[in-house]
Amino acid sequence: MDNASKTRRLLFRLGTVLILIGICAVMMIVGRGHTVYFDNKQLEYNGTTCECPYKIKVLVKDEQVANLKAKERGMATTIGQNFAMTLKITQEKGGDEVVETYQLKLPYNMDGIVVNLPAYLEGLPEEAWMSEFVPIATESTAEDEEVPGGDEFEMEDLGDF
Amino acid sequence: MNNKSFGKKVLGFVQDNTVPLMFIVICAICIPLSGFSASYLINEIVTRMGRNIFLILCLLIPIMAGMGLNFGMTLGAMAGEIALILVSDWQIWGIPGVVLAMILSIPISVLLGYFCGKILNMAKGREMITSYIISYFMNGIYQLIVLYMMGPIIPIKHSSIKLPRGYGVRNTVSLLNMRQCLDNLLAVRVGGVKIPVLTFLIIGVLCIFIIWFRRTKLGQDMRAVGQDMNVARDAGIKVERTRIISMIMSTVLAGFGMVIYLQNMGNIATYSSHSQIGMFCIAALLVGGASVDRASIGNVFLGVILFHTMFIVAPKAGAAITGDSMIGEYFRVFASYGVVTISLIMYETKKRKNKSLVGQQLAQAQKEEEAQNNG
Repeated sequence: MDNASKTRRLLFRLGTVLILIGICAVMMIVGRGHTVYFDNKQLEYNGTTCECPYKIKVLVKDEQVANLKAKERGMATTIGQNFAMTLKITQEKGGDEVVETYQLKLPYNMDGIVVNLPAYLEGLPEEAWMSEFVPIATESTAEDEEVPGGDEFEMEDLGDF
Repeated sequence: MNNKSFGKKVLGFVQDNTVPLMFIVICAICIPLSGFSASYLINEIVTRMGRNIFLILCLLIPIMAGMGLNFGMTLGAMAGEIALILVSDWQIWGIPGVVLAMILSIPISVLLGYFCGKILNMAKGREMITSYIISYFMNGIYQLIVLYMMGPIIPIKHSSIKLPRGYGVRNTVSLLNMRQCLDNLLAVRVGGVKIPVLTFLIIGVLCIFIIWFRRTKLGQDMRAVGQDMNVARDAGIKVERTRIISMIMSTVLAGFGMVIYLQNMGNIATYSSHSQIGMFCIAALLVGGASVDRASIGNVFLGVILFHTMFIVAPKAGAAITGDSMIGEYFRVFASYGVVTISLIMYETKKRKNKSLVGQQLAQAQKEEEAQNNG
């Protein structure tokens, strides 16, 4: 094989690897999943009190994901960092419903994101209405999981195939 | 005379297709006994076709290279699982998660395929048993990685994946956020049957790739190596290299296949998903009429349909016949191992028969030559 074809082959391989790395990077960004939690709870921030409306309906991609009265929480899952939601807000019981669409930029590093809707609607800074959802660790014992460890040969579970 | 030759033809056909015919008979008996409706049965078969065909297609390339049934495809399955565990921990969901897992599985599969190919080159003529044992050996390494290295060495963040002790991966990893994402995209419903169009398109692309690949220089080399290694070597083909490439290709495709398979299932049984996959894929291929040295895309499709029909109906049919569904479960396992055994025996018998036929022809030719010389 001459030098020219060797170089061409090397370039082709490097190009393929670079393309694959590029696709991986894109997939990492566009495929990052988040769980967004919506709180309709009163919040105090720097002396400002955000009162919660009577009812907020949250729609994501034209599908209602939460119907929140005061002190309630709802959730939705989303892929990517751009999150669009439509809020149908009823300030008081029997009052008119105001429909508004909002766009949120979700932080990449957070799996679960809590959005306090009254604070968000009030126009407070991001640190006031956005926080990370940290699941409460449940106590579990090692007996919960039976992982392989024995040296016996046994008939394996067929399972579904 | 005509009747005699027709009878011979039928006998030849039956001899050549013993396994598929046997399974057609089993299915014909079991389907009415199971009591499943036609739409349910078709739905299940179509789902299982989408789930398994890609995995089974990866077996065709080593057969082409004369390496027999690649039990080492389990290695690719492990690569796919490791990639999926990482993607699941990084919280990459949906189609991007599937694509990322496929790409991540490539370097692991290439490494494992190269290793497997190297060893199989040292064990020419005994590739199947060697690859079978390699898969057991590699299962130990896989467990070492997943059980001890994931956590302290390979970072695993989420407690839903990590064992409570702080290292190692749980028995089951949920893939809920990418469950059937390939199957549901572009899915079409025809008469109550869900057809996963995208998955079938991917399978179609692989089929076209295999057909195209057979005609390439490398594909021709593989076929030459598969027919006779010595002749291929004399013709200037790098036999060892060609065999290693076939193993790498098969392992990479098995990794992709495992990702497709697990996204359909929606969870990973971390320590057992891969363990039986080689056996069942090979059994399905053999049920389709393939043999150790000859397999086609048609065998894959027929095999999946027959083998999985048996898989679906056997427990219910077993319950109807004996009153115990476990009999049906055992029958599935028995049939899977049995079909591999029968095929291997038939292959060996055929090989010996051909060998003795060649010997007889040679003796006959020698006799004739001697008679001519004496005359």
